[in-house]
Amino acid sequence: MRSNPPGRVDTAVILAGIRLKNPVMAASGTFGYGTEYRGLSPASAYGAIITKTVTLEPRPGNPPPRLCETPSGMLNSIGLANVGVDRFLREKLPALRNAGTVVIANIAGRTIGEYARLAGIMDRAPGVSALELNVSCPNVAHGGVAFGVNPLTASRLTRAVRRAFRKTLIVKLTPNVADMAPVARAVAAAGADALSLINTLYGMSIDTARRCPSLGNVTGGLSGPAIRPVALYHVYRVSRAVRIPVIGLGGIMTADDAVQFLLAGASAIQVGTANFIDPATPEKIVKGLVAYCRRHGLKSLRELTGWLAG
Amino acid sequence: MTPSRLQARILSNREKKKGVFLMELKAPGIARSARPGQFIMVRPPHGSDPLLPRPFSIHDARDGSVSILYRVVGRGTEQLSGLGKGQALAVTGPLGRGFPIRAGNYRPALVAGGMGLAPMPFLAKKLAALGRIPKILYGCRTKGELLGPSTLGAVIATDDGSCGRRGLVTGLLEEELCRAGSCRVFACGPWAMLRQVSLLCQKSQVPCQVSLEARMACGLGACQGCAVRGVHGGYLSVCSDGPVFDSRLIDWEQEPPL
Ligand SMILES: Cc1cc2nc3c(=O)[nH]c(=O)nc-3n(C[C@H](O)[C@H](O)[C@H](O)COP(=O)(O)OP(=O)(O)OC[C@H]3O[C@@H](n4cnc5c(N)ncnc54)[C@H](O)[C@@H]3O)c2cc1C
Ligand SMILES: Cc1cc2nc3c(=O)[nH]c(=O)nc-3n(C[C@H](O)[C@H](O)[C@H](O)COP(=O)(O)O)c2cc1C
Ligand code: FES
Repeated sequence: MRSNPPGRVDTAVILAGIRLKNPVMAASGTFGYGTEYRGLSPASAYGAIITKTVTLEPRPGNPPPRLCETPSGMLNSIGLANVGVDRFLREKLPALRNAGTVVIANIAGRTIGEYARLAGIMDRAPGVSALELNVSCPNVAHGGVAFGVNPLTASRLTRAVRRAFRKTLIVKLTPNVADMAPVARAVAAAGADALSLINTLYGMSIDTARRCPSLGNVTGGLSGPAIRPVALYHVYRVSRAVRIPVIGLGGIMTADDAVQFLLAGASAIQVGTANFIDPATPEKIVKGLVAYCRRHGLKSLRELTGWLAG
Repeated sequence: MTPSRLQARILSNREKKKGVFLMELKAPGIARSARPGQFIMVRPPHGSDPLLPRPFSIHDARDGSVSILYRVVGRGTEQLSGLGKGQALAVTGPLGRGFPIRAGNYRPALVAGGMGLAPMPFLAKKLAALGRIPKILYGCRTKGELLGPSTLGAVIATDDGSCGRRGLVTGLLEEELCRAGSCRVFACGPWAMLRQVSLLCQKSQVPCQVSLEARMACGLGACQGCAVRGVHGGYLSVCSDGPVFDSRLIDWEQEPPL
């Protein structure tokens, strides 16, 4: 392999109109509202922070236990516990938008109307650069994954939100379908600027000593290294099915994992569960990506995206 | 106090009782700022399975080191028990809300059940430094499971009567609450014990702080994974609202959050 003179590697990416200083983003629900990791991981290490899913009304979330570790992964059944949009704007957003990085608000609703109302509110919220629509939460009875499994519903929802939100619109998709491509295409045609995938996979664990489900909500969503090959597969497939950028996530722990997602077709990546294991993960990944580019004689991370031919 | 994360060297890791280990870690920053009842997250060192860091109460903190007293119950603690002096572990802390301790004219009663003894030596030390010599009430199943109580001067109850009083530690607490003078209770142990302790204290109108357990991922209040239901409806985060709570804030009718 030809070695590059230790020149500068450009880590910036332009993602559907927003400039990110690096392509590593914090995944929704694993980095709170951006301030909880203070002292352990500067939010500014991330190219962007995606908030915990915000809903119109505050939500208490599901009954405990809400977590369960599984082989190289974890199940969660948090259930979109969040402070609601009013408190989000009043108490969380001011600190977040001063955190030294791009802020992306993740939202969910029970109806298309709720999504559109939230989108309208976020459109006017200072410091929110983009929206990520959560149409893929496996842990709520109404809304959530129901919007993300049917191409027609997903497209209606995207269109309604598109009308209410003028900035960058990302739709986060669920892998809990036979084929992700139809939903991805429908959402892209309805005006999405980018896609994030994957959200968690349906999963379950049973406590044999007590003969009851390990999670209070019985089932949950699987994340972490265990889902990485599945996530990579979907990113590879979907990025070939649509023309809009794909943000890849699912079990990314290291720079090498991130490179795999970029090569498969992702324009940026997100780090979720790895925040729990090592809050310094984003810094390490960015450093590792730069080192990778140096080793391989690349001047920009953008050169990696979609390296694998069709 | 913001927590820090470091690769902490193991100073010692010894089996104190069958299946229960005392691990001492070099962590000057954590040792300096730790308060009794706070915890640290320790990540088992081998790869991605087990994956998440494990929470442990701070058993003691002094001279640049913190120690944890832990029982081997699963794969994570099994791995920890196999580590030796000089090896390094990823440690985050101090985390959470500890026991609120202040000067004043009261008798502290420390109620511990089983592994709930873990945070008590550090708490006892800090109370003593404030001139509040605590009484430690310590219960476990049988004599063989007692964890070094002699050093703490604890009053003991065992389920089978093999040491100290026969019966539950809550029996000892009932007597303690009958004594004159203002008392404050600090408790750590299994959910059922804590519920009973809370009930007794409420009846006697004695302030009571309990240390709870829940499965955790972030340990920082970011993931909402460690929920326990509060009396006013809604959930509290054990890692950041607790792990130590005023017992009146907890809904004791719920299933234990583990
Ligand atoms: C604030 C706090 C303080 C604690 N202090 C101590 C202590 O001082 N000494 C001690 O021996 N134990 C303590 N525990 C319990 C300790 O965290 C668990 O025993 C440990 O996580 C078990 O890990 P494992 O891999 O061996 O077990 P496994 O059963 O293999 O663990 C599987 C998963 O469940 C979680 N888990 C299992 N049991 C518990 C539990 N009781 N509480 C929380 N999570 C659990 C693990 O962290 C892991 O994610 C404390 C728990 C909390 C929340
Ligand atoms: C504890 C936890 C909470 C999550 N909460 C949300 C959420 O509120 N909204 C959302 O869109 N995704 C949520 N997710 C999914 C993650 O953002 C991510 O899609 C998934 O965990 C896969 O990535 P990972 O393997 O890197 O964690 C959550 C995941 C976890 C583990
Ligand atoms: S463990 Fe994440 S909020 Fe408590």
